[in-house]
Amino acid sequence: MADRFLFDKGQLEMRGISMQFPGVKALNEVNFAARPGEILALMGENGAGKSTLMKILSGVIPYPDYSGKIVIDGQESRFHSTKEARNHGVAIIHQELNLFPEMSVSENMFLTMEPLQVKLLGIIDERARDRQARRWLRDIGIEIDVRQPLKDLSVGNQQLVEILRALATNANILIFDEPTSALSLTESETLFRILGQLKAKGHTIIYISHRMEEVFRLADRIVILRDGQTVGGGSKSELTPEQIISLMVGRSVSELYPKRSPQLGPEAFRVENLNVKARDSHSPAIRNVSFTVKSGEILGVAGLVGSGRTELISAIFGAISRKRVNMQIWVNGKKTHIYSPLDAIDRGVALVTEDRKLTGLVLDRSVEENLTLAALPRISPFNVVDRHLSQSLVKEYTQKLRIKAPNPGVEVRTLSGGNQQKIVLAKWLAIGPRVLFLDEPTRGIDVGARQEIYSLIDLLANQGVAVIMVSSDLPEVLGMSDRVLVMREGAVAGILDRNEATQDSVMKLAAGFKPSASSSTSAPMETHS
Amino acid sequence: MNAEGPTNKSEGGIDTAAKLGLPGTGSSSPSAPIGDWKITFSGMEKKILSTVVALVLIMIAFGYLTNGIFFEPRNLSNLLRQTSINGILAVGMTWVILLGGVDLSVGSVTALVGVIIAIAQSSWGWGTTGFVSEIFLTFLLAIGSGILVGAFNAAWIAGLNIHSFVITFGMMVIARGLGLILSKGSTIALPRESSLIDLGAGYIGNQATAIILFTSAILYIAYTLWDERKGRSQKSRTPTWRVIAKIAGVSVVTIALYYVCSSYQGLPTPVLIFGFIALLGSWILARTRFGRYIYAVGGNTEAARLAGIPVKKVIFLVFASMGTLAGVAGTILTARLASAAPTAGANFELDAIASVVIGGTSLKGGKGSVYGSIIGALIISSLNNGLNLLNVSEFYQMPLKGAIVIMAVAIDSIVEKRKDI
Repeated sequence: MADRFLFDKGQLEMRGISMQFPGVKALNEVNFAARPGEILALMGENGAGKSTLMKILSGVIPYPDYSGKIVIDGQESRFHSTKEARNHGVAIIHQELNLFPEMSVSENMFLTMEPLQVKLLGIIDERARDRQARRWLRDIGIEIDVRQPLKDLSVGNQQLVEILRALATNANILIFDEPTSALSLTESETLFRILGQLKAKGHTIIYISHRMEEVFRLADRIVILRDGQTVGGGSKSELTPEQIISLMVGRSVSELYPKRSPQLGPEAFRVENLNVKARDSHSPAIRNVSFTVKSGEILGVAGLVGSGRTELISAIFGAISRKRVNMQIWVNGKKTHIYSPLDAIDRGVALVTEDRKLTGLVLDRSVEENLTLAALPRISPFNVVDRHLSQSLVKEYTQKLRIKAPNPGVEVRTLSGGNQQKIVLAKWLAIGPRVLFLDEPTRGIDVGARQEIYSLIDLLANQGVAVIMVSSDLPEVLGMSDRVLVMREGAVAGILDRNEATQDSVMKLAAGFKPSASSSTSAPMETHS
Repeated sequence: MNAEGPTNKSEGGIDTAAKLGLPGTGSSSPSAPIGDWKITFSGMEKKILSTVVALVLIMIAFGYLTNGIFFEPRNLSNLLRQTSINGILAVGMTWVILLGGVDLSVGSVTALVGVIIAIAQSSWGWGTTGFVSEIFLTFLLAIGSGILVGAFNAAWIAGLNIHSFVITFGMMVIARGLGLILSKGSTIALPRESSLIDLGAGYIGNQATAIILFTSAILYIAYTLWDERKGRSQKSRTPTWRVIAKIAGVSVVTIALYYVCSSYQGLPTPVLIFGFIALLGSWILARTRFGRYIYAVGGNTEAARLAGIPVKKVIFLVFASMGTLAGVAGTILTARLASAAPTAGANFELDAIASVVIGGTSLKGGKGSVYGSIIGALIISSLNNGLNLLNVSEFYQMPLKGAIVIMAVAIDSIVEKRKDI
């Protein structure tokens, strides 16, 4: 793995970048270069320094805070602000989109660079702006009404707006920070197509991602960071996924997914005729969904974004207003009802929500408070929290899940994504669930933590918990599930056994092709849309 | 944005545990990821400590400028009495602000409750028919009215999910108007002989002061030790330095309080009520399930709801409690002045909010403590008291106090910013 890329004369070069956080060396003499017309993948675990490096490149971290050189087109340039970076053609497409949901598509695209009618007064020429926006969209082959508010767009299209916004600033170095983490498969495809176009036009693209498949499909070269240092890199053909993972983790990682040998028990959960009324155009209606899960079984739920996976499990958990939901539920063979999250918890049903920051954690509160939140009634006799029970609960789960935190009193905000996700899991395990719903359990966390979470899920299932796992990451669904339920347009498109479930068969069901022989449904409850 | 920011392991904590050679809990299992329980202060504790330092500095400055008059027992005793009403409101306001809300109606409600009980005492004869009606019934009436108003606020805020700013702003005007209507716009005096007046202006004798202060302190220390023993048997001890610091702190505060009060007539009655409410308010917040629910709902309502927390109930109870405390404050204010003016309590809500903010509670909710607010309330009354002693006119006091609130928050935000890049 020669460091020969260091000597490439590229459009962009970062040399000897070092940065010190209080007590930690975040970046240590990082070098790398990227050429015009190529896609460079930047890989590394969370905390490896990828984002810090890119924040330096895009001016989010201003110059004197780090040391080292940035050379763009042979010119040494160090940025004191994001504006300066933009002027030098560097733009970053953030993981969390930095757009204004209430403003229109074209307003978002041209914010701060609107074509003006009267320059001095700053009066915006709205027609010219909309015209330009339409032209940009046409260029990449996307049809969106530029006048509609951004919030009415799908996540994928919102991201395209952000990309176009970057292009509108004449950016030629584009940084993508995990762009597909919130996209559906079709949206990802669109993005990949656009990335190809940009590459062909000679843009320099830096692509941060955890997803190996994507990287191998898109990237020309790969640079790997670990603990703030460049630990390797090379062209795609010189590297294998296994090599990359071991470089990222610093040790060799065996199988990502645990070998399942499911011990199925009696039926743990059954839902019949689940119907959810749509609230608005964004939340799909759920129609006549029925399925069962046995104790010790992992049921994967696949489907495109917008197919109603999240709504399905939110409804079961009682998180959607009772007025919109209609269903019959059996837990451990007993007919019951779930009208609120509290009902669900009382019946041993837990839901690890999709977005840990939005719905999983109270970020400003401590590890202890977050971890015990759902189990509080159990550790507070007479409503007074027994601190010793609380602390021993925290100890138990931080050890079991190997949560790394300086002490139980630190705010969860300060922890890495993987540790945060483990705390959300621990919060729900602390109630001793018999039925565990997981919504995107590994989104945005690194390989090491992913593997740990997978083996934990496997362990829970082996202990008799019924697990229902929703995920957009198809390899994950296929790797973990004993059966796969595929959703399409708010209904069950089919339920596949482990041996029938392949990328192909699942995608066909999800996209709505006629099921071929190999993907016939084998579920007890066959449904159709 | 900050997902990859490295965790600052030491968190600015002072690693004296190692220096003192104190045993750390949990060090028995070195494999435990959460293992080292060194002397560290949480962010909140650091905030409170820095507020205490600010308070001490302010007091020393006034002591110097007034040639020691500030530190005379008589003045300190008055200072404590002056703190009581704002302090009581600040306790409730802490809860409210922790939820991410605000209650603008407390000043007018304080006045309204004052008017109601003054009418009861002067027109219905409650002020002249013996101890039971003079104090007990009056107090119940005050608290009842306060709860009613608080529940009214709470019902709109929790039931319809409207921001508390709007509802309590409306209530601020409504309550002020009701006070004016009921009193016909004039001040109502309490009957001279009403024992309620003692509640606001009186003292608890030296003997009673000693008994109350020292028994509470001893009970508290005993509880702390018992709790720590219980923890040891369950293998989750509080670090020893913490226990020692706690006992030392309680002893110093108790002795200082006793010294000040016994040198001047004893503990002022409102201070006793304030002390009780402050301890109860912070205990509920720190130790009960309801308290943790307040933090969780204020920090992330959706996560709280999904964790099975009855969000609406929590919001309701917090605003209803705030109304109750406004009732208590109204009683003390009326008792202290021996009369109720419908225009009283002006800007009380702002003083309470300022105390909470100076005390380090985040206006965004989810972060803060009652202790901080109490120190904040003491800072505000020290400023009032000290500046009055120095004969600084009210005109100059106002901008000065405003500047201090802004400074407190500015310093806080600069420190916060440093922590996260």
